[in-house]
Amino acid sequence: MSTDIDHVNDPDRRRYLKALAAIGAVGTTGIAGCLDEGNSSNGNKGGTLEVVHGWNSGDGKAAMEALKKAFDEEYPDVSTDYNGAGGDANSNLNTVIANRLQNNDLMGAFANWPGKHLERYKGALMNVEKDVWEEAGFKDTIHKATIEQCTFNDKMPAVPIGSHRMNNLFYNVQVFEEAGVDPKSLDSVDALISALKTIGQNTDAVPMTQAMSGPWTNLQLFAQILLSQSGVKAYTNFIDGNPDGKAIRSALKATKTILQNHIPDNASTLSMTEANEKIVNGSAGCVHQGNWLYGAYRKNDQVNYQKDWDWIPFPGTEGVYVFHLDSFVAPANNPTPKLTKQWLRFVGSKKAQITFNKNKGSVPLRTDVDPSKLPKYLQQMYEDLRSAKQLPPTIAHGLAVTPQTLTACEEAFRVNFMGPYKVEAAASDLESAVSN
Amino acid sequence: MATHEATGESVADSVGWRTKFRYVLNGDFVRSLPFWGIPFVIMGIAVYGGIGYNIAISLTDTAGIGPVDWSSLDLEMYSQALAEPAVHRAAMNTFVLLVAFTAICLVLGLFLAVLLDRQFRFKQQTQMIYLLPMSLSFVVTAKLWVWMYDAEVGVINVVLGLFGISPINFLGNPSFSLAAIIFALIWQFSGYTMIVYLAGLQSIPESQFEAAQIDGASTIRIYLRVIIPQLKAASVSAAVVLMVFALKTFTFLYALTGGYTPPKGTDILATLMMREAFNNVQWAYGAAIATMLLIMALGVISPYLYYQHRQGSL
Repeated sequence: MSTDIDHVNDPDRRRYLKALAAIGAVGTTGIAGCLDEGNSSNGNKGGTLEVVHGWNSGDGKAAMEALKKAFDEEYPDVSTDYNGAGGDANSNLNTVIANRLQNNDLMGAFANWPGKHLERYKGALMNVEKDVWEEAGFKDTIHKATIEQCTFNDKMPAVPIGSHRMNNLFYNVQVFEEAGVDPKSLDSVDALISALKTIGQNTDAVPMTQAMSGPWTNLQLFAQILLSQSGVKAYTNFIDGNPDGKAIRSALKATKTILQNHIPDNASTLSMTEANEKIVNGSAGCVHQGNWLYGAYRKNDQVNYQKDWDWIPFPGTEGVYVFHLDSFVAPANNPTPKLTKQWLRFVGSKKAQITFNKNKGSVPLRTDVDPSKLPKYLQQMYEDLRSAKQLPPTIAHGLAVTPQTLTACEEAFRVNFMGPYKVEAAASDLESAVSN
Repeated sequence: MATHEATGESVADSVGWRTKFRYVLNGDFVRSLPFWGIPFVIMGIAVYGGIGYNIAISLTDTAGIGPVDWSSLDLEMYSQALAEPAVHRAAMNTFVLLVAFTAICLVLGLFLAVLLDRQFRFKQQTQMIYLLPMSLSFVVTAKLWVWMYDAEVGVINVVLGLFGISPINFLGNPSFSLAAIIFALIWQFSGYTMIVYLAGLQSIPESQFEAAQIDGASTIRIYLRVIIPQLKAASVSAAVVLMVFALKTFTFLYALTGGYTPPKGTDILATLMMREAFNNVQWAYGAAIATMLLIMALGVISPYLYYQHRQGSL
């Protein structure tokens, strides 16, 4: 009895812990209950259009600002909330989107890669084929290759905003001249490798700069080399899950030769921006990267197009435009379906495409844009996009493979190919990554 | 209360429910409720509810966006994770990091504290210098160490170069990368252990030093036999805080690379969990890895809990 009285007057720790456990259990079921509730449609309340994107710095920010301004001018009565999520890397944006969709905290539209990347959001996307693509006539005015990439699961949940070309080799004109390398002569990976040797021998510059703080750049370089050596068919087979072992090993060997001999010693700590600095300041000869690098050259007054920096298609991939896409995606059951469609129709409009891409340094997907409205370099890119015979989708940027396969491919490089470079191990990991 | 018991039911009946209610309301338990009850409920739901929900998710097969299917609960995700070499690697790295970081921090902190316990000029300033790194955020220190470790222009390699050692690719070479991360973390947190030990040392009365000296003990012997044994409580509490910091290495690695893929050889359970859950939207699998991380943390911390229990404070 006396112990009971003690307990009443002095709730001891063990009781406290028990109660805490009980509340924890209640909390668990509570959270589980709340999150499962109502996947039902919220209907159209008019409301505020929320657009989540990840363009918070540099040219991406400028492009998004310009796009916002253009939309708000065109639709002054629509209340909008442009929500910049995360840093420069897409990982944070993707995390925010996945979390919000899973918790049913839906936005009107969000920026993301389309293509197989949309597998992440499977079952949570709106079909805007009829109300946006057909109504606005995008199927006739937007590049055909885009339609395939914006179709997922027999629906069209996305509208493209801009494209970057992936198969580029940017180079420092002075370094190439000093080394006596004629960029026009680089028509194969072997020619590239011997040019890299020449640059190493004839100049103080590092032949090629490469950012290796993450594995995606090596995956991307490997993909261009595979394309160059074995052609679009071999690349397509690879991303479709029927890899040709010999082609992969040959591409990995060439990648190894480049990474082992011709890149900076500190590559493993370089971010993409830092690696590219070496092109700008002339301490490196060339770099393979998506043409977002154009943005970095453009904003730097020290370097001018064709005088200081120039580009060629990645050696051996002339006539091919390796396709990268940024798009806006519509989540299903979102609170503002009408505004979402309005936004997406705007995104695909000529005005939006020019405004955004001019600032971002990317390529409009509309086929009816007047090229003279674009800067000189982008005019060339735009022509290349329209005239490209083959547009294989990029693997390192979500279009070609599902997120899970992409992670597995990156893992194959992270574990086997960040130095020391193990061709056989990387090849078999890549094969199992794409075949799964 | 004893008197109520003695007189039996009749008295209990005669006391109305209002009186009983008032009696309950006036009790310590109810009156103290507003003070501990609110944090209690918030903790219960936010922390323990969160942990419970994570475990619940890990038992399902949830992947992708959509409602959770609670119909089949099993340990499949755990068996899948335990069979995965990537999980083994990450678990091993996490464990090595946790143990090596904590142990070296404790030893180094103790060493610094003993040095600083001696009287010398600029003692306060020296203390500040050691403690300062701890006040910096992981984002700052991660970037700082990326530059320090740089194979071309990094300070460390420049210094090594003076001794004729060719540059070492600390973060790029898997045989160095984990050690390099641990070293950076030690740099940041050994100052903290130093302060904890210093406080412990300064609370030991001067008379004990004097007594030991009179008995003819050398300085080293005084510390080993008299002083350090008294620092047990300080060691235990510092170790627990360090382990918590070690589990936060995720932030450091994220800031290092700007993504969930850390340098080769430094993948830990936290980064692996983020990749699975948020890159691949394999929620259940990610939750299973998170639970394993929790179990590992509890495993490491359990000696402390046991120690507390034996002391009668738990």
